[in-house]
Amino acid sequence: MPKSDSDILFSISSAHISLELNLGLKVSGRCAVTFKAVSGSLFHDMEQDLKRFLASLHPEFDLTFRAVTDQYGYLWIILEGSRIEDLLAGLTATSGIVEERGFSDQLLAAVFEFQSERDSSFQYLIYNFKRNNFYPFVPNRGKSRDTEKEMKIMSSVGEEVPFERDMSLWYPLWDLPLRSLV
Amino acid sequence: MIIKQIRAILYVSGTRKHAWQKRDTGLTARIIVSFAVLTILYLGFLTVLVYIGINFIAIAVIASIMIFAQWYFSDKIVLWSTGAHVVSREQFPELHDIVERIVARNSLPKPRIAVVNSRIPNAFATGKTPKSSIVAVTTGLMDQLETEEVEAVVAHELAHIKNRDVLVLTLASLFSTVAWYLMQFSFYGGMHRGRSRDSGGAMVLMMIAAIVTWFVSFLIIRAISRYREFVADRDGAMMTGKPTKLANALLKISGTMSKIPQRDLRQVEGMNAFFIIPALSGDTFASIFSTHPPVQARIQKLMEMEAAMS
Repeated sequence: MPKSDSDILFSISSAHISLELNLGLKVSGRCAVTFKAVSGSLFHDMEQDLKRFLASLHPEFDLTFRAVTDQYGYLWIILEGSRIEDLLAGLTATSGIVEERGFSDQLLAAVFEFQSERDSSFQYLIYNFKRNNFYPFVPNRGKSRDTEKEMKIMSSVGEEVPFERDMSLWYPLWDLPLRSLV
Repeated sequence: MIIKQIRAILYVSGTRKHAWQKRDTGLTARIIVSFAVLTILYLGFLTVLVYIGINFIAIAVIASIMIFAQWYFSDKIVLWSTGAHVVSREQFPELHDIVERIVARNSLPKPRIAVVNSRIPNAFATGKTPKSSIVAVTTGLMDQLETEEVEAVVAHELAHIKNRDVLVLTLASLFSTVAWYLMQFSFYGGMHRGRSRDSGGAMVLMMIAAIVTWFVSFLIIRAISRYREFVADRDGAMMTGKPTKLANALLKISGTMSKIPQRDLRQVEGMNAFFIIPALSGDTFASIFSTHPPVQARIQKLMEMEAAMS
């Protein structure tokens, strides 16, 4: 049986240790899941329920959330918290609700943010829901990416988590809304 | 015989088609053509010798002299066919510095250094013995790669020299040359001996055996040379201690760098049902759903090294 999205997403809970040990990448405390918004009451209801659910987590889990719609019409659920387990729980619960309500085709990606202890750059692991695997994304200033750092991420966790081997599918997500709209 | 030289070139199967398309500039293409012409001449000459009925021993001696000559002059042929010219320290001080740093750290003899005037980044090594070897790089390589990446490429070529890959592949290709020769000999030998049923059958058998041998040896040469590439990657990365730099250089040289997409995932997803296998054809299909081209396999191994080293 193929692993579910949440199983694969939870593999970050061990992979982040390798990233920190090998590359000095620390969990920044931010992650996100994004899916294409559609019109219609079913989606609207789901969005409201999702927000209510995430808000209800707050006292018990160390987790705050924001919802942002980007210029492509994708809804982003951005989670912040200091504990990686809580972040992952929030992430998988969110994608779980989206799937449960029949919108699994709308799910695009989950994004996990890391910050380098060495140069304080932000580096990302992107989980592609259609491919069921991760790939790295390290944006530079301007729309260019640091392939060397991306390859180092691959060398560090490429064996540990399901990883996208075909580099031509490492599609970037420019202007990630993880930090910009606080 | 054709293959042994081009294997010393840094990138092999991934971009060979590319090199053929740009015939005037492709190093690989020029070397292949030169050696192919030589090989055809040489096999043709042997065929004539067999045909006019010179005895087996004499032909074997002549063939081995020719193979030896081709090996002996291989560096000159490669330099001539690629238009590489040996350069002095005064002409290219930085390149000499790079080579000297690596050979000094790894106690290797310093090879001669050659430069090819081409915008396409590439490099190759040739030479009979480590001492008489030549490492050649294109001007494009120096322009487009960072110093540490040039260093990684030079180290890869030095690894080919250290491992005597030209000799290894010459010996390997000797096998296929002998097979070809046997095939020729059996064909014309059979004709001369008349048409009795027995010798006819033996002749056919021998020809089949020769063709099979030739084909198998061809595959073996390819397998050996692929393996030598991996070994040179590994040894080269050990020399510099920086596998990532070689991986990055490979990306740039092979043009795979441009395969790492710049277009946003949301854009691609919006344009077509991208990840559901669509009815795309030909090149589009290959470029989007390419599984693991050789360059990626090499990068994979280099990154495994990087992981083991960190």
